[in-house]
Amino acid sequence: MFDLSIEGPELFVLPFGDIVPYFSTYTAALAGFVLVFITIAAISLPEKQVDIVFGGDAYVAKDIEPADTRFTRFMAVACGFATFGAVVTGDVFNFTLFAVMVGICNLGIVAASRNRHVLNAAFQYGLVALVASVPLFGSAAIILATTGTLSIWTLAGLGAVPLLAKILLILGVMGEGIAPLYIGKAEIIRAQGAPFVLMIHFSSLMIFLRVIEIVMVI
Amino acid sequence: MIETFHIGLYAAALCIIIAFFSFIKESDDLHRLILTDLAAIMALFLIALVGTDLAEALILPGLVVAISKLMALSEVYIMKEGIRHNKENSVLDIEVLKSAPAILAAILVIYGIILSGFPGGAVAGVGIIFYLICKGHKERFELIETASGYAWVGWMLAFFIMIIIPSQWFLAMMLAGGAILLKVTAKLSLIGTMRGDNNV
Repeated sequence: MFDLSIEGPELFVLPFGDIVPYFSTYTAALAGFVLVFITIAAISLPEKQVDIVFGGDAYVAKDIEPADTRFTRFMAVACGFATFGAVVTGDVFNFTLFAVMVGICNLGIVAASRNRHVLNAAFQYGLVALVASVPLFGSAAIILATTGTLSIWTLAGLGAVPLLAKILLILGVMGEGIAPLYIGKAEIIRAQGAPFVLMIHFSSLMIFLRVIEIVMVI
Repeated sequence: MIETFHIGLYAAALCIIIAFFSFIKESDDLHRLILTDLAAIMALFLIALVGTDLAEALILPGLVVAISKLMALSEVYIMKEGIRHNKENSVLDIEVLKSAPAILAAILVIYGIILSGFPGGAVAGVGIIFYLICKGHKERFELIETASGYAWVGWMLAFFIMIIIPSQWFLAMMLAGGAILLKVTAKLSLIGTMRGDNNV
């Protein structure tokens, strides 16, 4: 496809006006991974947590009710679908919108915790993610202004997109997908519904892999 | 067109630099939350600068995601600071519903009077429902009952005129129209008072 080595053979194309959703080997592999992780998030039960007293051999087992993690699970599944959209879409602006949606869902997963420190970190992350919409939409606007289209299908292989737009796009996705840094700081791994935090890491990884593809193709 | 775009781009870049600089200076979380909205508006500004139909179509989804993110962030802020209202008075505890209803209700009632008859009553009634839902109804309840009663009398009177003195049909029709306006208004107003308060 596009005679570009990164994409591999073309598997599926849906010519839908200017916006052409497509599956190459690359994006199809990403989409398959996303579907697997959506399923895991939907059917997994929250783990039983164990708090170990440091320096001793005492430990406390916590039972977490499924109702406690309902919101987190919903957000994790929503995050999965937003990631799926970002991976599959053939339009730069739709990609940026899906990236922002992934950011919102990540924020939701983190904010479900009632711990003040976790909420504080979530707030700081949210500020970064919101500010990141400036380079993200700015890049889409510059691509539209210089090439007159936002379709990756049309832009592929032309090299018409200015370097500045590509830099801004990566910067914006970094702002949206930088959540792992914050949750590393925010001890959310020990909070309720910790398994769903995996979805934040996973969506960030997928979005980064997709944006690398987009930047190399357009 | 492209020169205009470049000039606009420089202006937007200047605004973005100012907005980001204010981020560095500001340390209060609430103020930073408000400043992020400024940044999000700048993002929309960049899209709007392109000035084509496609750009116009992109503004709305951009605005929607920016607002939804801002709302999520505000919710996190409220949770974080623990400043949620202690008691929630009603689902309609919204600032604008305290200031707007008088004007909106007046407009709807006047328009209803101009329409007259059943649709007029419905429009005027909607205005009064809106007013009562927003403002409460402690003293106005009896007034509605009285008006409804007089409307009933007027309605019956119009029928008697129709039957006894058919030559005065125009008077009867106007009377019936006015009465049914009042009647429908009063009926709909009662819906506005049905909010489960102790005097309903």
